[in-house]
Amino acid sequence: MTPVSILGIACNWSPYACYHAAGRAELALPANFRLMRVMCMGRINQALILKAFEHGADGVILLECVDADCRYGPGPEVGHTNVDRVRRLLRFLGIGQERLVERAFAADGRDELVHAVWDFTRAIEDMGPNPAKPGSAREAS
Amino acid sequence: MSDISQKVEQIIREHNLHLCLECGKCSASCPRMLSGKQYSPRLLAQKIIASPEDEGYIESAVWECLTCGLCEERCPSGVRFVDFILRLRSLLAAVKGLKGYRAHDGAVHSWMRIMTAPGLKQNRLEWLTPDLRTTQEGPVAFFVGCAPYFDVFFSGIGVQTLAFARDGLRLMNRLGVDPVVLAEERCCGHDLLWTGDSANFAELSRLNYQAFRQAGVKEIVTACPECFQVWERFVPEVVEGFDLKVTLLLDFVERGMKTSGLRFSPLKTRVTYQDPCRLARMADRVEGPRRLMGMIEGLTLKEMDNSGRSALCCGNSSFINCDAYSKRIQLERLDEARRTKAELLLTACPKCHIHLACALRDPHTLGQPGIELRPLPSLLAERLPAGPEGDPGDNAR
Repeated sequence: MTPVSILGIACNWSPYACYHAAGRAELALPANFRLMRVMCMGRINQALILKAFEHGADGVILLECVDADCRYGPGPEVGHTNVDRVRRLLRFLGIGQERLVERAFAADGRDELVHAVWDFTRAIEDMGPNPAKPGSAREAS
Repeated sequence: MSDISQKVEQIIREHNLHLCLECGKCSASCPRMLSGKQYSPRLLAQKIIASPEDEGYIESAVWECLTCGLCEERCPSGVRFVDFILRLRSLLAAVKGLKGYRAHDGAVHSWMRIMTAPGLKQNRLEWLTPDLRTTQEGPVAFFVGCAPYFDVFFSGIGVQTLAFARDGLRLMNRLGVDPVVLAEERCCGHDLLWTGDSANFAELSRLNYQAFRQAGVKEIVTACPECFQVWERFVPEVVEGFDLKVTLLLDFVERGMKTSGLRFSPLKTRVTYQDPCRLARMADRVEGPRRLMGMIEGLTLKEMDNSGRSALCCGNSSFINCDAYSKRIQLERLDEARRTKAELLLTACPKCHIHLACALRDPHTLGQPGIELRPLPSLLAERLPAGPEGDPGDNAR
């Protein structure tokens, strides 16, 4: 199977608590999975997600709080709007919107988060690499 | 800057900076300086010649320029300031990795660089409506540009850059041409080039040239002034043996109207027109758009205080360094437009359209009289209705 690289972007609150709990319980996550922590899904703009694909990510999974749990008011609304737009751009680019997913977790959703990451990683492995892989290494930006 | 000082010196010489008299006309006309920004083209020219050790100033100022070219228009000494900025940015980006502050966190530049991927297979033609006729192969192509992407990315401010593409195609169809529109078309690279990323710009140019050549294209028509500038001037610099004819849509329409004998239907309205920098000052297309508007009976064009080669910038270029000063320029421009008491503010450039659409939503403009922003090709297409004599293509079916 072609190796793929998966980026998770996690909200600091519920999803990161789940991730932390998974680590403490020594639950395995895919070796090709990398995690980036942000304070809220409202911090995710279109640029951050596009940049992940520009630099060669094969799939991006956004690990979010359940909307009602957001500590910052409009966070989920801003996040969902941006994700919706980027999915349309990914479709235009031929990368495919299925390579970007959102999953929401309660603070005690440790096992659900681990399952979600494995499921997404397997789905991307089935799809193969992102067809818009850069031809050469990208500048860090 | 010592390791690159020879290259800098060459750029200074090639763009006549030594001819600067320090008269200051450039700075006195620079929209960015007049909006209050601590930036001066005169000072940048002086520093890079006389105080190259002030790298902090030079390396910051080079990204502030809007590249709108008004300074160059005013310069009595023939300093080629805009090209100087372009080459200095390319050098500093290549050698030092500088890139200026990117508006929208660089998302726009990201998708442009994604488009350099060799295996790219886009789904970018969903905007084509059934009434538009295109082909996959032929001598004439219509270059769409990034409009499908802009309309999604900027959907929050309701931009309609695809109107330039749809109505551009509509005009071509009605003038008897069904052009090639390619799904494999990539960004023209304008914003990468002007922000110093010349390597990815060259890659896009090569890929686009190959795709259009493979489709049998000999002539490229485009509605976007930036795409036009890139195809006409910069692609030939990086693609060896470049042999495509490049035509601005407005030129194509003007010629087509003369040879076909078609006429625009009358419209009683009062309009004003935003000259794009890449058309008026850099491609000398001041009169062309005005002749086209003049062909619509009943239309009155009221010029803004600054128009034609003196037109004020829409506030930003290439999506870098957009800030409160950009906004101030845009609001000033909208005030000029409102003072004409025009019903429509027409522009020939999708980027002017995006920036002015953003400024029209600014809270500072609340309570001010509205002015409708419209692409010039849309007005022209609306006044050139399809019909038995108006649409030879339909007749042929």
